[in-house]
Amino acid sequence: MKKTLLSIVMIVLALLVLLPVLWTLSTSMKPLSEVNQYPPQWTSSAMSLKPYVDMFFYLPFLTYTLNSLIVACSSTVLTLLFGSLAAFAFSRFTFPGKQVFLLIFLLSQMLPGASVIIPLFQLLQKAELYDTYWGLILVHTAVLLPFVIWLLYGFFQTIPREIEDAALIDGCSRMMALRKIILPLALPGIGATALFSFLGSWNEFFFALILTSSDSTRTIPVGIGLFVGEYLDVWNQMAAAAILFSIPPLILFTLTRKTFIKGLVAGASK
Amino acid sequence: MKKATPYLLLVPALLFTVFVLVYPLVQNLINSFSDVSMITGRSGWTGFSNYKHVFHDTLFWRSFGNTSVYAVVGTVVALILGLGFALLLNLKLGKITTVMGCLYTVPWIISPVVAGFAWKWLLNDHFGVVNYWLASAGIVKAGTTWLGNPGTALICVMLARIWQFYPFAMVMFLAGLQSIPQEQYEAAAVDGATMVRRFFHITLPNLKTVTSVMLVLGVIWSFNDFNMVFVMTRGGPMNSSMVLPVLVREFSFVQFDLGKGSALSVVIFALLTTLSYLYLKVLARGEST
Amino acid sequence: MKRTTFIALVLSISLLSCGKKSDGIVLHDWNFGGRPKLIEFLRQRVYSFEKTHPGIKVEQSDKSWNMIREILYADFSAGAGPDVMNTHSNFAAEFGEAGFYYPVNKFPDFEQVKQWYVPHLLESTRYKDNYYGLPSSAIAFVLCCNKELFDKEGIAPPKTWSQFREAAKRLTKDTDGDGVIDQFGLVLMGGDKGGFAYRMIPFFFKAGVNVMSEDLKKIEFNSPMGVAALKLIADMYQVDHSITPGFLAYTHSEVNDLFSGNKAAMSIEGPWFRGMVGDKNPGKDMYVVPVPVPDDMIAQYDTAPTLQDMVMYSINARSKHLNEAWELLKHLRNEEADMFWITQDLGATATTKSALNSREAKSIKDIPLYINELNHARPWPPHPQMIAIASNIYTPYCQKAIVGELSPKAALDQAAREAQDLVDGKK
Repeated sequence: MKKTLLSIVMIVLALLVLLPVLWTLSTSMKPLSEVNQYPPQWTSSAMSLKPYVDMFFYLPFLTYTLNSLIVACSSTVLTLLFGSLAAFAFSRFTFPGKQVFLLIFLLSQMLPGASVIIPLFQLLQKAELYDTYWGLILVHTAVLLPFVIWLLYGFFQTIPREIEDAALIDGCSRMMALRKIILPLALPGIGATALFSFLGSWNEFFFALILTSSDSTRTIPVGIGLFVGEYLDVWNQMAAAAILFSIPPLILFTLTRKTFIKGLVAGASK
Repeated sequence: MKKATPYLLLVPALLFTVFVLVYPLVQNLINSFSDVSMITGRSGWTGFSNYKHVFHDTLFWRSFGNTSVYAVVGTVVALILGLGFALLLNLKLGKITTVMGCLYTVPWIISPVVAGFAWKWLLNDHFGVVNYWLASAGIVKAGTTWLGNPGTALICVMLARIWQFYPFAMVMFLAGLQSIPQEQYEAAAVDGATMVRRFFHITLPNLKTVTSVMLVLGVIWSFNDFNMVFVMTRGGPMNSSMVLPVLVREFSFVQFDLGKGSALSVVIFALLTTLSYLYLKVLARGEST
Repeated sequence: MKRTTFIALVLSISLLSCGKKSDGIVLHDWNFGGRPKLIEFLRQRVYSFEKTHPGIKVEQSDKSWNMIREILYADFSAGAGPDVMNTHSNFAAEFGEAGFYYPVNKFPDFEQVKQWYVPHLLESTRYKDNYYGLPSSAIAFVLCCNKELFDKEGIAPPKTWSQFREAAKRLTKDTDGDGVIDQFGLVLMGGDKGGFAYRMIPFFFKAGVNVMSEDLKKIEFNSPMGVAALKLIADMYQVDHSITPGFLAYTHSEVNDLFSGNKAAMSIEGPWFRGMVGDKNPGKDMYVVPVPVPDDMIAQYDTAPTLQDMVMYSINARSKHLNEAWELLKHLRNEEADMFWITQDLGATATTKSALNSREAKSIKDIPLYINELNHARPWPPHPQMIAIASNIYTPYCQKAIVGELSPKAALDQAAREAQDLVDGKK
């Protein structure tokens, strides 16, 4: 009895929590003239999936999706690669200046985006990386690296050194130990970090807005903003785009849920 | 060669950080002491006058107050909510807990841009669902304006932010709850302690570290949060929801006073550095207990 | 295995991100804002340009009008930016001064091109001795009245301030008997700083108030008639409650929704409004009339000025293909192109003499009104700081006066002081 009551409470809470998402879903299936009505309707007489189709013709969303994928995947790969090297260094070595470097990476998470944007913009221009994939990828990587290093550092710390030391005694080199022993053990943590990094780049709006300007490099969040035009706001297509945009992260999350949570908690408590 | 290994491992990451983060910071510092405009570029040193302009600007103090409220109240409420949800999930009611756990995490996965727009639609004064429900229940008049009212705009943005942040707290608290040794509860049960006593004397103390870590992190991240306010109100109406990150954009990109914008970002950076110092202290204390 | 896949991934990404090198000239054309019809027209226009100019390819990019100033500033200050773009005519002062726009009067055939346009519309693109673009869409701000609501109430569109205030009061009511006012006389666009200024200043202009002195040295919008104009709106909000309460957050989409949904009876708008409302609500009709004049100026009803705004097409001064850009500019703005602004509802009025005098022009709804208003309309003064003053000083202080935080006189005086400081070069 108590269980049923609690279950009902949980379901009601879920509905409340998902209210904005459900409303977006509802908006995404209405014709434009019925989007803003009073009293507000959850369903309309003319519901359809048409906005999901129309959005690809209104704006080049296929291109935006490809761009988002390229940028997010590349950034994730780079942050994991360079981040694990750095985290390994912090976790397994003691060396002069270690605290200083740690501090540098910690502090670089604190920079407000709005303050680095202009020098960054000018830097990219000079390097001819403005409005290119590589420009945005490099910026996303740099922005995400500190947090990734922090997370990976935490995971590596949970792996006891004895395992490595045993391997070293057996004749492995330090780098081999990293590849063959530590990385496989840290896989859950790396999975969690990968998700974080991917999400960070996938959802990123501010830098993408200012550092790209043409459709061929534009990412989805910036594209969503374009549905708000000077004269017409195509709310239903924008809602459709928002729903579609949220699907990959949701899928990724459900797939890696357990490892993600385990890894996040382990990393953050360090 | 061996001694250099750690440094070599750090090189790629450092390069990124230096070029993409340290260089702009230094450039910002230079700009903050110069006379810079978007149009004419940099034209000489001006000492501390940019900083003076920032501190004499009532808008700065207003934003500072707003940001503090946004960060502290927003984080605290999100933590309380997160704890509540975590306690609920910790009851381990079987499959429903797993499913609900996933659903409760959804707000965190949604992009801030999407979240901002969704909440804007919900809070629309004439066509939004929230107003419709509240008006039908007689709590407010129909057509009450939320985002257009200087008194409530910031609260609405905080609501959206709390919605997005509580799942993070929930996940952390859940893990924390599950790591509390059962013996403590058993011992308390033997002593005849009530549920309330157990909560306040066992559960909460065990969650102290997690709570303080999340509090500081949450406050720091909120201080830096540009997207939510920008998408929902742009800092309006009449600057009532202006927060520091959006103010930097306002100074630099709207008033085109790059010197002032740079000075403000240096101030924000100093503020956050102080907060992170706190974080490190808290962490250290946590580790020593 | 992992390593090879990684290298393959990096390589393929690098290949993808390499641009295709094309032979021939590529012009970058940025298009800010515009309704779907206009964008459609521009695509076709560019297409016809490419066909008649082999060897030149045009890459069009659509961008948000709301962020035009920031986007252009960010790009120009970094030495980038498109070759051709549509832009606000009052950027001529700011960007002309900064050397961002190319003075098109330097092209040899400018004297002939000049003849296409109505002279005072062309003047909007001028700053000091140079012309910084070709006029494209002309806008005059007018009063749009919800026909359904006006007819139901049995009143005619107002001509004087008293009639305006009275109409708004009568059209503010509780339509469904639940004790809550759900229909308002006037909706204001307070959420868009620039847009708000453009909708307030016509009242000032109609009352004979100047924003600045002719020599661009003195701020003058805080004159007694200016205060009276602001007081009119402030009283409507605070005393009559005939202005939508949530106006501080409204952008064009809320205005559209409220007007279309019959929750607002009047709005100050331009040539785009009929089409914009029609896109969402086909068949919704409206009366389009001049912005009201002060009661004692009724004799000047047909000649009092309103705000004129204009979009122009300009060339980036640092473009590497100035001559080709000029060719594109002319193609986008010649008399043939301009006729489309008459025959199709592209959201603004044409600017060439031939289009405005054409037979079609006289028969299309609202065009005679807009042409008349444009004959007497005035733009914002061509001062480089004008936009900053309008958005960052004039708008906030007007809004404070309307909601009652300051008296209209105090608000305008303070605004004038700050604006004057800006003009004088102090901070």
